[in-house]
Amino acid sequence: MIKTALGNPRTQNVTIPLFAILIALLVGAVVLLALGKNPLGAYYNLLQGSGLAPKESYAGHKSMLTDFMSFLSYLTPMIFAALAVAVALRSGLFNIGVSGQMLAAGFVASITVGYSALPAPLAKPLVVLIGLIAGAAVGGIIGFLKYRFNINEVVSSIMLNYILQYVCSFFINTSFVNPVSRQSQPVSAASRLTLVDTVVGDLKMDIPLGILMALAAVALVKFLLDRTKFGYEMKAVGFSNSASRYAGIHVGKNIVMTMILSGALAGLAGVTYYVGYFGSIQPRTLCDTGFDAIAVSLLGNSNPVGIIFSSFLITLIDKGSTYMSSAAGVQAEIADVITGVILLFCACTAYIKYRVARAEEKEENQ
Amino acid sequence: MSEYEYIVEMRHITKRFPGIVANDDVTVRIRKGEIFALLGENGAGKSTLMSMLFGMYEPDEGEIWIRGEKVKITSPNHATRLNIGMVHQHFKLVSNYTIAENIIMGMEPVKKALGIFPMVDIKKANRDIRELSVRYGLEVEPEDVIENINVSTQQRVEILKMLYREAEILIFDEPTAVLTPQEIEFLLDIIRGLREDGKTIILITHKLEEIKQVADRCAILNRGKLIDVLDVATTSTRKMANLMVGREVNFQTGKKDAEFGEVVLDVQNLTVKNRDHFEVVKNVSFQVHAGEIFAIAGVSGNGQVEIADAIAGLAKASGGKIVLNGKDITQDSIRERSLQGISYIPEDRQNVGLVMDFSLSENLGLKNYHREPFSHRGILNKKEFDDYADRLIGEYDIRSSQGSRTVVRSMSGGNQQKAIIAREIEQENPLMIFVQPTRGLDIGAIENIHRQMIGERDKGRAVLLISLELDEIMNCADTIGVIYNGQIQKIADAKTLTTNEVGEFMMGVRQHG
Amino acid sequence: MNTVIIDGLSFALPLFIMAIGGIYSEKSGVTNLALEGLQGFGAFTGALAAVLVAGNFAGNSSVPFYIAMLFAVIGGTVFSLIHALLCIRFRANMVISGVVINILAMALTSFLTKQINAAVFGAASDKFVLGVSNRITVPGISAIPVLGAVFTNVYPFEIVIVIVAVIAWFVMYKTKFGLHLRACGDNPHAVDAAGIEVGRVRLAAVMVSGALSGLGGICFAYSISANFSNAIYVGYGYLAIAALIFGNWKILPTLGACLLFGFARSGGYRIVQLLAMPSSYQDLVMILPYALTLFLLIFFSKHNRSPRALGVIYDKGAR
Repeated sequence: MIKTALGNPRTQNVTIPLFAILIALLVGAVVLLALGKNPLGAYYNLLQGSGLAPKESYAGHKSMLTDFMSFLSYLTPMIFAALAVAVALRSGLFNIGVSGQMLAAGFVASITVGYSALPAPLAKPLVVLIGLIAGAAVGGIIGFLKYRFNINEVVSSIMLNYILQYVCSFFINTSFVNPVSRQSQPVSAASRLTLVDTVVGDLKMDIPLGILMALAAVALVKFLLDRTKFGYEMKAVGFSNSASRYAGIHVGKNIVMTMILSGALAGLAGVTYYVGYFGSIQPRTLCDTGFDAIAVSLLGNSNPVGIIFSSFLITLIDKGSTYMSSAAGVQAEIADVITGVILLFCACTAYIKYRVARAEEKEENQ
Repeated sequence: MSEYEYIVEMRHITKRFPGIVANDDVTVRIRKGEIFALLGENGAGKSTLMSMLFGMYEPDEGEIWIRGEKVKITSPNHATRLNIGMVHQHFKLVSNYTIAENIIMGMEPVKKALGIFPMVDIKKANRDIRELSVRYGLEVEPEDVIENINVSTQQRVEILKMLYREAEILIFDEPTAVLTPQEIEFLLDIIRGLREDGKTIILITHKLEEIKQVADRCAILNRGKLIDVLDVATTSTRKMANLMVGREVNFQTGKKDAEFGEVVLDVQNLTVKNRDHFEVVKNVSFQVHAGEIFAIAGVSGNGQVEIADAIAGLAKASGGKIVLNGKDITQDSIRERSLQGISYIPEDRQNVGLVMDFSLSENLGLKNYHREPFSHRGILNKKEFDDYADRLIGEYDIRSSQGSRTVVRSMSGGNQQKAIIAREIEQENPLMIFVQPTRGLDIGAIENIHRQMIGERDKGRAVLLISLELDEIMNCADTIGVIYNGQIQKIADAKTLTTNEVGEFMMGVRQHG
Repeated sequence: MNTVIIDGLSFALPLFIMAIGGIYSEKSGVTNLALEGLQGFGAFTGALAAVLVAGNFAGNSSVPFYIAMLFAVIGGTVFSLIHALLCIRFRANMVISGVVINILAMALTSFLTKQINAAVFGAASDKFVLGVSNRITVPGISAIPVLGAVFTNVYPFEIVIVIVAVIAWFVMYKTKFGLHLRACGDNPHAVDAAGIEVGRVRLAAVMVSGALSGLGGICFAYSISANFSNAIYVGYGYLAIAALIFGNWKILPTLGACLLFGFARSGGYRIVQLLAMPSSYQDLVMILPYALTLFLLIFFSKHNRSPRALGVIYDKGAR
């Protein structure tokens, strides 16, 4: 049965990730059972924490809808970040520096617009623009280092991650630190991409403006990858550098352009995260979103539409884990473990495809 | 030890691969101390049959008997223990190791460092290999590194590898494909010498002259089936050829005399450096006219591929000029050159000529995707791609399982090459570069490509052919340039040169003149 | 000056041993970005073993430390099996596999640390406290100016690392196994034709990288952080990879690269101290090894040649 489900090459892109998720949830369930917890209950807590199922009680001005809005606000940067990974992957590049690019974008946007007195209609577009440019700049550096000096993008983006982390930390700690929270000063409400504590009826909720941008980005990226000359070139470069060069594609330029695009998307993830969802930056840390985005992108088969679903799922596990931790009394880190196991099985996708293909060949020969 | 009539018997062997039956009920019996040839076209199943004898595959049906005993050969290791050795068509050598290290790998002499730590005794290895090489007349320098030695020396290393393992049954898979006529002579002498030593030799080849020269008996395979086993001394070459192909073969390519037009390509003092800044093409000059097939002959690795790459723009010229139709294109990009009139069928069709994971239609559009009507203001017109692909698939008879949507990786080598040639011919460019266009293809496909190449010449295009197959060059070329060590040794009308002369120039034995 | 040498060495040597692990894996043809996760997981198992047995020994005993080392090696080896399984058996993309293992190691160890702290020690903590290993000063030699610093305040693990490194060097360049291993990274088909199982050699190589990374990880835990927590994941594994790339996948030049990182780091800290700068300036020092890496890569990446078959899945059938 598993073979029929996984065997069809046309549906493999959906069935294999689903299979991975199922296994990961099973693994999680076994661990939860071993800890003496009810796995179904714990998983239901995940839904409750993400505003997808009602909790037993809510504090004042809160409801399932406010939880869901908060979930969407957290989902937004994840979609952007996963798109960033997917775009790079299309050209065969592994952008593990999304977190660093996010931080750079969030930091630059914070200190330029976030701490200014600009009015909202000016501040918000400016934040988006600055985030786009800052992320693109960092991505572009990585692409340039690869093109000009043949430096593996994985190594250079990791080095840049650390450099950016400490540089931002240095400036935050010396100039922008909030002595109470030990984080950077919160940015102005006018600059934030999430409308915080907006009163709707008797509810107070955070409305993420970025989610619409994220969905638009999905459509745009999909069009770009599938229907344009640039997308065709990216795909060619991703499959074969040598054949692309032969075809007259400027491979180096393509790599730099791809990394600029990927960085720009990561930059949007950064501003929706730091200037949207959080409103401040914690020094000396990179956010998990940039790394989880790799999981999301793999799970979504690097397909923009697939990414909507996979980021929904991973965000749900992540965001819901806090509530699960308090409601069911299990460590929130179990969520990361589940995500890790999903990733592990997604990494085996090629093998499953290979086995299925081999099995079919054998059958044909019988 | 039991008495046996045949040292190797393969009885009723059948081996299937997805989509084809590689060997269909094949029986061969080989006597100790003979040179036994396996003759057949590419894809006839010769290599598959021998791979089973060497333990790389197991037969689906049939039995293998060695020295009168039935055996099941499960791995190359097992074959080695049965004293069977094989020189593969693609040498299996570690490029940054010395000759000795390559030969001893897997059977290293060991000594104890400080009396306790076992380590490889490389001094003994070097001594042993030198001795062995002298004994068999295969002289090599054990401490030379593989990447610095030429192809024929590498082949000697492969032979020494078998002898070091005390192989008695030696399989050679297309051993002469990469050698010059003179090197081939030398190799055949070695093979005869090995027979004198009592070794049994199995020679896989599609070259009839070689069989005629050395083999005692010969089995002919066609499409996986055993056609006949013949005594070489009493059989004519023509009969063997007809049996091999399964029909009458035409040895000559019907070809009109060339009518040269204007100079299309003018290469002046071209110098090309490789990655290690080593000059691989040195001060090379030649011209190709419209309506001319200009062939560059040479042993693999003498700079000919770099010449093609430099003309197409894939490699940078470090000196000299490349002029196309009177315009200096030395500094132009790959794309610019392609648009100004260069079609290029590269040597490595899988890594360079095609994007293997693209569909056939995407691959056929590889040179056109960026211009009207395939794309308009940066947006692709998918329908145009598919229509164009369908037309080419029909005209050039490109076969695939799902038409224009087929992923090229799943297509056969011959059809992949058809796709490249179709795409490049359709550019209607004044200059066409063919590098090793028929490598690995069967006779039918080869004839077809030669016909197309000559057809392009007759349309008035300039054709630059680079090939390692001397037969191909002698058959197709109007003018031959011979390259050795990055330098052109000789340029002459093809009709004025004999195969042997070309071979001598290829070895650098004869100097200009 | 002496502190720069002492601290530099105690940072460089664990880095070096991890880099040797990386060289083993990559020379056999298996790209290994998983060093970071392997050192973290090794440090976790080592630290866990140490805190579990700590009660049985006196407070200043060094036995738990050696037990920790042993278990770190075991833990790293076991965890590396996942990478080996994915890359060798399951034909996964080796880069992706490495990254996945790092993410998984981080998630697993932080989950288990909390869980075990709560279940076994009844404490809500996300770290295992280890303390700093004691140090040895060799009498006599240590008095020599400058050079003496090499023998002053040495962690015992530094001696272990030097011994292991020498053995690793010998095995890599002088033994049969080493000969086979390096051949796998250049032309696995040749290795197969010689009757040696490529998969097995690569498996062993990846396991060595796991063992040595685990060793490196526990050394960091016992020196720099004095405990095991998520703080172990600060990119030492990636630094080790950068070091082996400078070192052109050769053990001795890689030692040079590691020493350079170590001294850049300790020298930077010294300067912050000497100039009496506020502690936030430490952030700038932290940048040094990474910035240096990037800077040096610019010069080295072009000329260095990675093993030819690095990252290529070995397929017997393909010729």
